[in-house]
Amino acid sequence: MQSIKTVPIICGIISILMVAGVLIPGAWAQTQTPPADQEKLALVGSDLGLPGKLGQELAKAPAGKQNGQIDPQAPRGAFGIPGAPQVNYLLAIVWATWVGWIFSTVGAFGGVMAGVGHMTIYGLGDFTRSFKQTAPGLNKTLTDSIRTSNQFLVGLSSVLSVINYLKMRRISWPLGLALGAGSIVGAFTVASITGGRVSFSQYQGWFGLFVLVVGGVLVYETTPRGQASKKAARAAAQAFEKSVKEKADTSVQGVQVSAWGLTRTSLSFFGMEFEFNPIWAFVGGVIIAAISAFIGVGGGFLYVPYLTSIVGLPMYVVAGTSALAVFASMVTSITTYVKVAGAGMDWVLIGVQLIGVFVGSMIGPRTQKHIPDIWLKRLFIVLALYVGLGYFSKGFFGQAWVPM
Amino acid sequence: MIAFVQTILDRFLCGLYALTGVAVLDYLLGTLIIGIVVVLIGELTAGLVLRINRQHLDDLDTRIAAARRLSTQALETGDRQAYRAINKEANDLFGRLFFNGFGLSAAALWPAFFALDSLQRHFAEAGLSVTLGGYRINYVLLFLVCYLVAKFLLARSKRLLTAAMLTAQAKIPNQPINQSTFSC
Repeated sequence: MQSIKTVPIICGIISILMVAGVLIPGAWAQTQTPPADQEKLALVGSDLGLPGKLGQELAKAPAGKQNGQIDPQAPRGAFGIPGAPQVNYLLAIVWATWVGWIFSTVGAFGGVMAGVGHMTIYGLGDFTRSFKQTAPGLNKTLTDSIRTSNQFLVGLSSVLSVINYLKMRRISWPLGLALGAGSIVGAFTVASITGGRVSFSQYQGWFGLFVLVVGGVLVYETTPRGQASKKAARAAAQAFEKSVKEKADTSVQGVQVSAWGLTRTSLSFFGMEFEFNPIWAFVGGVIIAAISAFIGVGGGFLYVPYLTSIVGLPMYVVAGTSALAVFASMVTSITTYVKVAGAGMDWVLIGVQLIGVFVGSMIGPRTQKHIPDIWLKRLFIVLALYVGLGYFSKGFFGQAWVPM
Repeated sequence: MIAFVQTILDRFLCGLYALTGVAVLDYLLGTLIIGIVVVLIGELTAGLVLRINRQHLDDLDTRIAAARRLSTQALETGDRQAYRAINKEANDLFGRLFFNGFGLSAAALWPAFFALDSLQRHFAEAGLSVTLGGYRINYVLLFLVCYLVAKFLLARSKRLLTAAMLTAQAKIPNQPINQSTFSC
C-alpha cells in the first residue's frame, strides 16, 4: 500500500515542478526578453484571415522576411501561416507510417515519435522557436498547436477501444468514474494553466526529459536485472499454467461492485474481492492526465501499469477503464487547448498522418515476427536517448548536445 | 496532390451547401451529408485494415483471453504471486492490442480531418455559425454532432438491413444444400 501512495506523490511533485517552471518568470535560464530594437519593427497588424488566437498573435508579430518575422506575401505553410514550413505530405505519410509501425509493434511510444515528427521532421519546432524573442505570444500559441496535434494523433487510439469495451461491458464504473474524473481534472487544470504560457523551448526541454525517463525505463528492462524480473514473471505464469487444468473462461461473468465508498470500493471478480481506494484512483488520474496533457501524449502506457502493477487490479477491468481514462483526458485537454488557449489546428496534416498511421499499423504485425522484441526495444532506446538528450539540451540550454 | 483533393472537395461542398437555398438549413444539411460521406469512407478503410490485420488481432485476442483465464484461475486458487506475474505478462500484450486499435481508429477517422479542413476554410474564416440556446456552435462542434448522428444512422440502418435480410432468408423454404446450390 505504501508504494501506491509514494508513486503518485513523486509524480505529483514532478507535475508541480513542471507547472511552476512554466508559471514562475525566470525559473529557466532562458528568460524571454524582447530585443531593444523590436519596437522599431512594423507589426503584421492583421490576422491574415487566420481564426482565433493564432490570428491575433500573428497580427502582433513583426513583419519582415527574416527569422522571427512574418512575411504576409510569403506562401502559406503549416497552420496557414505565411512563410511557415511547407510540410511535405509525402514525408508526413512516411513518418506517420513509422509512428504506426512503432505503435503496433512496440505497443507504445508512438506519441513520442509523433512529437518528434511535429517538432523536428516537419520543421515546426525551429519555426516556432524563431519567434521566441520577436513574438513570444505566437511562439506559445504555436507550441500549444504542436502539443495538441500530438494529442490528436495519440489520443485517437482510445476512441474505438472505448466503444468496444463499452459494448463488452468491460468498464468498471466506480474505477472509471474515479480515474476519469481525475483525468478530466488533471487535463483541464494543466491545459488551462499552461495553455498559452509555455514557450517552445520549455516544452521541448520537458518533452526531452520525459523521453529520457522513458528511455531509462527501457534501458532497465533490457538489463540482465530487468530481463530477469520479466523472465521470473514469465516462469511464474508458465508454472501456474501447467499447474492448473484447462477450463472455460468464466471471466465473462464480469465485474460486480460489491461495496461503494469514498475511500473504499470493492469489486467482486470471479469470487475474489478487490478493494481500491477511489481517492487514490482519482489522484492517479489527475497526475497521469496532467503529465500527458503537458507533454502531449496519450498516457495509456502510464494508466495500465499504474492500475495493474501498483493498484493491483485485474487486467480484465484495467483494459477498458484505462482506455476510458485516456479518452476523457484527451478530449478534455484538446478542447481546453483549443478553446481556452486558442491553439490552431492543421487538420490536413492530422488527416494525412492518420493515413500513414493506419498503413504503418498494417505493416507492423507483418514485420514483428522477424524482429525480436529485445531488438525493437534496443532500437527505441537508442532513439529515445538521442532524441531525449537533444531536446532536453536544446530546450533548456539553448544548444543541442547531440547533432540535430 | 493535396491541393487537387481540396479542389475536388470544394466543388463537392459548393453543391452540397446550396441544396435548399436557406442558408442555415443548407449549412446543417450539408454538414450532415459530409458526416455521412466521412463515416462511409472511414468504415471502408477501417474494414480494410481489419481484414488485413484480422489474423494478428485474433492472435492477440486469443493470447489476452488466455492470460485473462489464467489470471482468473490464479485468483481462484488464491495465488497472488502468479496473478501478478500473469498481469505483468499481459501488459505487453494489451499494449499491442491497444495500439492496433489505434490503427483502426486512424483508418476510421482520417477522412474527418479533411472534411474539417474544408469546413474551416469555408466557414471559420467567414465566421458562419449556428446559434443554439444562446450558445454559438462553431464548425468543429457542428461537424462532430453531424458525424455522430451519421454514425448512429448508419449503424441503425446496417442493423435494420441485416434483420431484414435474415427475415427474408427465414421466409425462403429450406432447401437441401448440395453442390449445385453453389455452382454458377
